[in-house]
Amino acid sequence: MNNWFILAQVLGVITIIFEFTSYQIKNKSKYFLTTGIGSFFWLTMFFSVGMATGMDTQISLMVAASYSTVRNLVFWKIFAKNTPQSKEIGLNFLLIMIGVALVAGVLSIINAPEQVRWLHTLGMIAALSFVIGQYLPGVHYVRITVTFYAIIVILTQTPLNILYGDFRWNIMGIAIEVAKIVSVIVFYIRFSKNPKQPQLQFAKP
Amino acid sequence: MFQLISDGGCDFTKEEVQKHNIDIIPFYVMLDGNTYLKEGVDITKDEYFKRLKEDKNLFPKTAQPNPQDYVDIYTPHLKAGKDIISLTISSKFSGTYNSATLAASMVKEDYPDRTIIVIDSLNCAIGQGLILKEMIKMRDKGFSITKTAELAEEIIKTVKIYFSLDTLEYLKKGGRVGPTTALVGGLLGLRPILHIVDGAVEQLDSVRGKDRVLALIEEGIVAALKDEVQNINLSVGHILREEDAVNFKASLEKSLGTKIENPVVEVGATIGTHAGPGALAIAYCKKYETFVK
Repeated sequence: MNNWFILAQVLGVITIIFEFTSYQIKNKSKYFLTTGIGSFFWLTMFFSVGMATGMDTQISLMVAASYSTVRNLVFWKIFAKNTPQSKEIGLNFLLIMIGVALVAGVLSIINAPEQVRWLHTLGMIAALSFVIGQYLPGVHYVRITVTFYAIIVILTQTPLNILYGDFRWNIMGIAIEVAKIVSVIVFYIRFSKNPKQPQLQFAKP
Repeated sequence: MFQLISDGGCDFTKEEVQKHNIDIIPFYVMLDGNTYLKEGVDITKDEYFKRLKEDKNLFPKTAQPNPQDYVDIYTPHLKAGKDIISLTISSKFSGTYNSATLAASMVKEDYPDRTIIVIDSLNCAIGQGLILKEMIKMRDKGFSITKTAELAEEIIKTVKIYFSLDTLEYLKKGGRVGPTTALVGGLLGLRPILHIVDGAVEQLDSVRGKDRVLALIEEGIVAALKDEVQNINLSVGHILREEDAVNFKASLEKSLGTKIENPVVEVGATIGTHAGPGALAIAYCKKYETFVK
């Protein structure tokens, strides 16, 4: 076990902290900033694993993590600005992101062995619905779609295996996805205990 | 006694104008690209919005009253020895405040002893209407012009107005949302909710579903007002959506446990051109009594 591998585990734990925290946050721009930082540590985790075991196995995962990081941070800026112009840019960016995910998903389905194509198809649907769910207003869509996405990723036994194409156990990767699901459950437990807040917040006169 | 004057942004009906003895200076609207019509004089709100709804390619223009329009209304009152308060639509929407102020400085030369106070409502439509209604109550109670103006400025700080739009189409035409936002929002059935912050229109949120949006607005309004409902003046407005507005008002009265005195109002062209047919509006503010020690 070399230092790069140990560092990867530390970065994985930091990723878990940020991902868990992000699904406790209702404010959209703060959510994107937190999950964006989580995605960045996720990216560095794959880099560290690459340094430990060889970069060729990690490139596709790093590409996917970079995609998440850029997407989350762009959305963070867009939701923080919250102007018609920023929203228009954000929506165009979202459509490009959907296009990229669609192409990547279709390619992975085509290249996958026939017996696991259903899993790759589910993975693509989950990834697309998550990206759309992140953008949609309110607190529920993103939490529902991230749960679906995390379950599909865990089903592949190794996060983002749908892009990589083989089956390996990746304990830290699974822990990150489990952390998201647990965070959503904790959010709804908190949500049910708190007095019901209206979805639309109107100002007092 | 002083004279209250407002531009057409306040959305008062002809009956209200007569009953309360106020003057309204109408906005201009242009539908055919050639002729400006005075809103409420040359064309009714209903006709205006029906034409807007029927012709999807129509994008009308609105224009502010000019200084001469104000001079023409100010002068007879000044001649009769009356002072004037002139309330205008938010200066961030329109140059009406400038027209009213310029006209005041013009007529002041001939009537130096008279007082003319021009107030920027920082609002529009039923929000502006509520301010005017509070000012009418103060005038009728015998408040002085300076006291009325002073309290009106306090009330303006408390006015909140929200618009639920039925479509993004008119926001797109007005350049307030981009084409992609309008297209995708339309496909997803998103209904934007706008509000006015510091005199300018901003988007508060978007909600999916025509009926759901009204339920969520009602829920939000009740949460915001339930603790001080007796101190609040509230008004509901619409654009070609009277039945929904009446039902919404009735439901809100039930939820708040109070009667809303103001009748449901048809919103005019100034904000309606950007909101479009099918919009529903709600506004509230503190009553003037809450500021009187």
